[in-house]
Amino acid sequence: MTRGRWETVILYAVVIAVVIVLVFPLYWMFNTSLAPATQLRRFPPVFVQPEPTLAAYEAIFTERPIGVWLRNSAVVALASTALSMFVSVLAGYSISRIRARGSQAIGLFFLMSRMLPSTLIIIPLFVSFRQFQLIGDLRSLVLAHATFITPFAVWMLKGYFDTIPMELEDAAMIDGCTPLSALLRVVLPLSAPGLAATTLYGFVLSWNDFVFARTFLVANQKAWTVNVGVASLKGEYLTEWNEIMAGSLIAMLPIVLAYLFLERYLVSGLTAGSSK
Amino acid sequence: MSAPRWSLWNPGNRQLFAYLLLLPAVLLTTAIIVYPILSAIDLSFQKIKIAKLGRARAPMTLANYEELFSSPEFYQAIWVTISLVATVTALSYVIGLATAILVNQRFRGRKLARILVAVPWAAPSVMAAIIWWWLFDSSFGLINWALVRTGLSSEMIPWLSTPGAAFFVIVVVMVWKGYPFISVIMLAGLQSIPLELYDAAKVDGANAWQRFRFISLPGLRSVRGIALILVMLWVFRDFPIIYILTGGGPQRTTQTLAIMTYQEAFKFHDFGFAAAIGVVTLVISVIASWIMVRRSDEPLM
Repeated sequence: MTRGRWETVILYAVVIAVVIVLVFPLYWMFNTSLAPATQLRRFPPVFVQPEPTLAAYEAIFTERPIGVWLRNSAVVALASTALSMFVSVLAGYSISRIRARGSQAIGLFFLMSRMLPSTLIIIPLFVSFRQFQLIGDLRSLVLAHATFITPFAVWMLKGYFDTIPMELEDAAMIDGCTPLSALLRVVLPLSAPGLAATTLYGFVLSWNDFVFARTFLVANQKAWTVNVGVASLKGEYLTEWNEIMAGSLIAMLPIVLAYLFLERYLVSGLTAGSSK
Repeated sequence: MSAPRWSLWNPGNRQLFAYLLLLPAVLLTTAIIVYPILSAIDLSFQKIKIAKLGRARAPMTLANYEELFSSPEFYQAIWVTISLVATVTALSYVIGLATAILVNQRFRGRKLARILVAVPWAAPSVMAAIIWWWLFDSSFGLINWALVRTGLSSEMIPWLSTPGAAFFVIVVVMVWKGYPFISVIMLAGLQSIPLELYDAAKVDGANAWQRFRFISLPGLRSVRGIALILVMLWVFRDFPIIYILTGGGPQRTTQTLAIMTYQEAFKFHDFGFAAAIGVVTLVISVIASWIMVRRSDEPLM
């Protein structure tokens, strides 16, 4: 690869410009979260805080129940992911390995369910949850989130199981394993990275939800997830932008870190079979 | 087939095992997906308000669909949805492809650049909406300040309460969050193209544009279809970005079918009517995902 000096300079200039434009909103969020409250309604804006303060972070943890909201998000994400993973591991394995009558149709159903509009399914779910008095209860979210985690997890796991040679299970069964223990002792340990990635992504999907949390929990502030809580910090007339930015940053940090780890898994899952 | 596949099991038992493994998932999704969809369809054929829920079934009627197809709001929502999907997808595609090509070049710091340009993809929609809310804030937002400061605008623009401007803001937020998805996938696609093709083309005297036009673009054909449909479906179904920023306003200029469904149900409590709009969005989603399934080369099983 040979490149002229000017070409190199231009390339770097373009890369830097593109990165700055795309990442600037995130920087601005960080910058605002460190601003003292007095600075928010004043021009010109301050691009680098001369005296950064953590007051906004302190405020959201002492004056707002963000700790509770974070815990709620984590509890719901763990529970809905655990529920979805339990059924998806078995189903994904079945679809990957055994040709049974009707299982292709079931697989297709999961694939199509990934595209289900949440604004439709939320209506009957709301009706049912009201009947079972689950509105305002975190358990309603666990079930609602399973509606989008399960279809995704079934297909992501099926993809990983497809990569594990079937001869391994055959060998295990010749050695006396039952099919179930072949799955548990041979296949699952080998697909550990795939299981980890799918679990993490399930967690991310649940954590990112807004529509279900906002609809089912709106009346019960103690049960809010962090997304609903942070969005509620936007006031009708006056908004403490440093607090809402601090809250947003805390809410999105675990997700951004998860994506850095997940990116290659997601890309290979999405492009599998289509890049041939 | 010399390997003793499942030799300990006769075919009947093997099928039974397959069904047993599928059973928990089928039971769960019947309860939380299939039954709700069927009851939503059922609801769409009843004239029913929230107060009556849980009582006896209302008589079967086509009233919701008649109301829907004669309502100008519905056609406006369709128009908003189509324009939003088309605009966001086209812009995300162009920016995403350009970014992918850029970070596919060799330069120092390429790894870091690849991570940074993908970060908006990871930002949860709620947070993406909130960041831009602040940037576009009508009185103290940075964008208004910059426009006035540079003389591009003589006054502060009330972005989210001005019809065309609100749509523009939604497009900006969605492109910002959506383009990295395209660029991440396109980058993976570009990397799967054998380098020898480019070398051979250079030997034959092809210039950079020709190499892009006749090697890169055709090489991306299969991933491109999937990426585009996924972005379109994402915009089509989005709730948080529009709901947080505008709630569908002003004057319904940002009200997509998804937002209209939600507002009819949870703001106006007209569940039957909302379900009817929801069923229409479901039909559109199913058709789009069916096209996607058909497009992927890999046989499903």
